[in-house]
Amino acid sequence: MSDLCPFDQFAERMSTDIRSGKQWNDEEFWRHALELFQLQFNAIEPLASVARSRGVEPQQLDDWTRIPALPAAMFKEFELTVLSPERRTNVFLSSGTTEQTRSRHFHCAESMRLYETSLRSWFDHNVSRPDFSFFSLTPSAEAAPNSSLAHMFECVGRDQGTRFLGCVDEEGNWEVDFDHTLDVLKSATSPILLMGTAFSFVHLLDHMKRERIEIRLPSESRVMETGGYKGRSRVVPKFELYRKIRVRLDVMEDDILCEYGMSELSSQAYDTGRGTNAENDEARLFRFPPWAHAKVISPETGSEVANGEIGLLRIFDLANVYSVMAIQTEDLAVRHGDEFELIGRMPQSEPRGCSLMTIDES
Amino acid sequence: MKFEIPNYFLADLGPEAEFTENMITEAVLTLRSNRERYLAVRDTGSLIRIISQTADNWLEEDYPFREITLEKGPQATGFSRETIRTGLEHFFEGLNGDSLEDLLQQELGHLKRLDAPCAARNENGKVAMATGPEMITHITAGNIPIPTMVSMVLSLLLRSTQFVKCPVGSSFIPRMFAHSLYDTDSKIGSCIEIAEWKRGNDVLEDTLFKHSECVTATGSDEALDAIQHRLPAKTRFLGYGHQVSFGYVTKEAVSGYKAKRLIRDAADDVVAWNQLGCLSPHIFYVEDDSSNWALMFAQKLAEELEKREANDPRGDIPKEAAADIASRRAMYEVRAAHMPDSSRQWCSDGSTAWTVIYETDTLFQLSCLNRFIYVKSTPNLDEVLKGAEMVRDHVSTIGIAAAEDEKEEIASRLARWGATRICPIGRMQKPPLTWRHDGRPLLSDMVRWTDWEQ
Repeated sequence: MSDLCPFDQFAERMSTDIRSGKQWNDEEFWRHALELFQLQFNAIEPLASVARSRGVEPQQLDDWTRIPALPAAMFKEFELTVLSPERRTNVFLSSGTTEQTRSRHFHCAESMRLYETSLRSWFDHNVSRPDFSFFSLTPSAEAAPNSSLAHMFECVGRDQGTRFLGCVDEEGNWEVDFDHTLDVLKSATSPILLMGTAFSFVHLLDHMKRERIEIRLPSESRVMETGGYKGRSRVVPKFELYRKIRVRLDVMEDDILCEYGMSELSSQAYDTGRGTNAENDEARLFRFPPWAHAKVISPETGSEVANGEIGLLRIFDLANVYSVMAIQTEDLAVRHGDEFELIGRMPQSEPRGCSLMTIDES
Repeated sequence: MKFEIPNYFLADLGPEAEFTENMITEAVLTLRSNRERYLAVRDTGSLIRIISQTADNWLEEDYPFREITLEKGPQATGFSRETIRTGLEHFFEGLNGDSLEDLLQQELGHLKRLDAPCAARNENGKVAMATGPEMITHITAGNIPIPTMVSMVLSLLLRSTQFVKCPVGSSFIPRMFAHSLYDTDSKIGSCIEIAEWKRGNDVLEDTLFKHSECVTATGSDEALDAIQHRLPAKTRFLGYGHQVSFGYVTKEAVSGYKAKRLIRDAADDVVAWNQLGCLSPHIFYVEDDSSNWALMFAQKLAEELEKREANDPRGDIPKEAAADIASRRAMYEVRAAHMPDSSRQWCSDGSTAWTVIYETDTLFQLSCLNRFIYVKSTPNLDEVLKGAEMVRDHVSTIGIAAAEDEKEEIASRLARWGATRICPIGRMQKPPLTWRHDGRPLLSDMVRWTDWEQ
């Protein structure tokens, strides 16, 4: 038996539970989380170092709030994986240019299976419809082998085949083939799901505006956008992006979904919930599947914030068996019970000088 | 009787007030007419008296504008009462007849050159007169109030009427200063306008630019570039861009008998205006051998910052800024736990109030500010300059702590390297009035010279 057996066993159990539609109650969830943390503590040295420095003894831990969450950015610095190099079959990198250091999330055949089970299950629950044809504005998984997003878009449409409308240019940037995309979209006759990053939608919609093109996607079609802008296009506020999608593609706001995910995780959240925000406007609320929990943590105290308050998102993902289950993100969110309203990536997660507090922010 | 702030300035209308092009035009025309009647006719002596009298008032504990600034300042600015008090007292102590005369002497060669043609002693008897712009617009940064107030003083000395445009939420202290000038001399006060509005209101700003002979602005290089391109060709522009500062402590200083004092001075620099000014240190580089001087410096600095928090708390900061600190701390926690020889961290408990990061990597690192300071060990000054090469063109102040016989050589090297200000640690955020901002002249960049050959 290899050392990795406990991880394989845990992953196998998770896959079975997810497929069976199991609902974890809180107590069960945290029992699983503590069990997984104990496994990972023994295999991932930076995690063990942090736990030890906080005086956390995994065997005696009974409180989820004491499970150390590692910053997602640490995936850039360390190999946060229980997998030996020979076992690794895939690596997902965070988005960024080749010059930037990118997060590396290693997978093996077993972790890919669990990852796909996790993403398919929650996607089918929130997004999919049986009669959808799948289109993606991203490059294909083959063209972008280190993109968890391209892989996800390939995976969700695997039965029918996702049509990828994007490509990778010589510098590694993602581009949308506008003419081909518009031809394909115009010729659709049954409901489609059009998936893409927010910036790829901005590129497409800007092109449609320039060319004065409007398309009526078949009724019941949906749009799923994800990810931030990361400097790849101008930043468009969400309501503005959705308005443009409505005008140019004739898809109503209720059929536009946002996915929240990251290459360091194995589960995703969708904004299918509705609530009211501080301005009494309707807020879109994200929810992770039952096997992942999001907590909103006060940057000041490090504790979970009260309902309606803002803080940093921390994700506990039981499908992240072979890396780190508890991840601290740099995303701000407002807590709405077990759901959250995404405020977005902190403007200054990259270091900055006093200049950023100058007239730029007035 | 409760003191009420009168409504003299546009900024008194509150952050909700909206302005139109006509309102701004009207304000500018009033300013220019007031200047003709009240300011252009004053001589330098009378302006120095008004400014220094106002500064003296601010140093009186019961001066109403001081009281109201300290009372309402924390709410309005986010700085604690103590931080505001310390910052303002230092500024007003340094704003007096002597410093104003020194400034004029330094900049124009003679105290009276704004009043009449006269000869400076060191210019071989050359007779010249300087004339200030009739109107100056200041586009201010708003991170800390002092640079704005310095700009206001300089404009007054030049007899220029001025429009001070502040970012939303940052006009409070400059506004109180404007009121205090009005209180000392209402006619002079009527030559100042101060307002705040959101970035990107080009219509209002272009109205100001059209009427100004000179525009000063502080901000990112891109923002300055954008402003400069919108100015009429004849308008003089002074832009103050990205600047960062750091400190350098030699082994002699950190191991010497003044080490305790040095820690207090370093804490002064971190605490002053919560590190938000361009002159505040991002890093203290500490010269080290195998004796762990830098590590000790970091630890002592953390202890000192904890003490300061009790008497001079940092105050609340925006959630984004707190999140930035929390995220940075989370990364350093992992590094410190995993690689304790090269990284350590000390932080306030249950808050983001202060953070000290010790690192052996000498590469320059921007702090996330709000009392978040790096201490980096270095074998020598060469390594510091190598590490800071990436910010070389943007370095303002380098605070130094060194033995007497080391200082001159260090200062010469730093000056050649590109620093525009070198000062003792503890005074980084306390420049004198005569400090040449970004290494450039203060008044002589703004005046028009008239040489009189006889």
